[in-house]
Amino acid sequence: MKIKLMLATSAIAASVMCVAFTTVQQTKPWPVPEKNAKMANPVKPSKESIANGKSLWNLHCASCHGKTGLGDGSKAAQLKTQPEDMTKGTAQTQSDGSIFYKISEGRDDMPSFKKKIPDPDDMWSLVNFIRTLKK
Amino acid sequence: MLTAGACLVSCILSFETTTYAQDTTAVVKEAGAPVKAKPVKNTFQSIWLIDNQTVMVPFKGTFEMDIQHRFGTVDKGYSDLWGLYASSNIRIGVGYAPINNLYLGIGLNKYDELWDVSAKYALLKQTPGESPVSITYYGDLSYDTRKDATKDLFAHQSDRFLSFNQIIIARKFSDKLSLQVAPSITHQNAVNGYYTKNDSTGQTIFEEMKHDHFAVSVSGRYKLSDATAVLVNYDQPITKHATNNPSPNLSFGFEFATSGHTFQLFMGNYSLLNPGKNNLFNANSPFNYTQADGTRVKGGKFVIGFNITRLWN
Repeated sequence: MKIKLMLATSAIAASVMCVAFTTVQQTKPWPVPEKNAKMANPVKPSKESIANGKSLWNLHCASCHGKTGLGDGSKAAQLKTQPEDMTKGTAQTQSDGSIFYKISEGRDDMPSFKKKIPDPDDMWSLVNFIRTLKK
Repeated sequence: MLTAGACLVSCILSFETTTYAQDTTAVVKEAGAPVKAKPVKNTFQSIWLIDNQTVMVPFKGTFEMDIQHRFGTVDKGYSDLWGLYASSNIRIGVGYAPINNLYLGIGLNKYDELWDVSAKYALLKQTPGESPVSITYYGDLSYDTRKDATKDLFAHQSDRFLSFNQIIIARKFSDKLSLQVAPSITHQNAVNGYYTKNDSTGQTIFEEMKHDHFAVSVSGRYKLSDATAVLVNYDQPITKHATNNPSPNLSFGFEFATSGHTFQLFMGNYSLLNPGKNNLFNANSPFNYTQADGTRVKGGKFVIGFNITRLWN
């Protein structure tokens, strides 16, 4: 009887511990300075610009964000932060300037791409490509 | 008259645009608005193209680490897993771009315990309407640090130095195809030799090799996707030495790129992991060759190798 009681208590304790340490995945707010958020995209979303952006996406972004932007890249599972679904939601409703700022500066798992993509026009082309991921 | 002149200028401009239409350039911001042409980007993905440097000079602030391996020759087949289990040559190096257009590097080679320092400077960048090619200077100075207490190897400290200077001329023909040609000169301070005459009337010395060695390399990359490319390279010695003429080098392989790495896997004849040493002393022929015992061997002597670069930028 005692053993059964101990087992039952242990099982309950284990369940409580599991629930206690389960964190709810929430996207941490990423504030963008107003000046940056309001920056207009100077590069038109032409065929060339989108092709250029796609090429940069495949090289720098796809391994985490996934080929189609769903956040399902091969490295995504190893990250502390689940990459956001770039096809909908806030990823698509935010301004071009905000996306540019986030790519440029980076945060936590997401590195800064200022030096990897040194030409701002290339970065804007990447923003243009991200717009094509919208579903 | 003015209208005719304007038409002529317009024709030349449109011809220029047509000529360079296939270049990857900055995207035109506003249709019709005059935009200053920008240099072509990513002619190559890495500073390395197998054993040669590419025209690429990393962006200011880039720090890179290189790990290079050249395995044994593949001719023994399965017995040493085509050279993979044979003794290999290794170089570990790092490089940094302190300012735009300049890249400095240092490395240590297992072969001859060779330290090398290098500098690379972008002299000209392919720009639509301005320059059809990119030109970069590359210089490498290496120092043999093997112990030589009895001075059997080096009579003087200066004999340990080897210098290599190269001009790299490249063009990105399309988003997929880039080619480069790179003439070079290697200088060795000491060469082996012996007296053919040494008496009271004077001395005559037979030198096995010349001190300066000219060569040229031709290399290309063809992109299969945004991250994968095929690499091909050929090095041709030009200087003819009295003996010990180095063999040419033929190499080919694949390049895989990510945001922070490039990985090149290939076969080639060069195994010494130093541009000067490779150009002066390569003994692996890419073609049929005759062994020291007179046996004719078909198919050349190749090694498998890889380059891994890790970028911090």
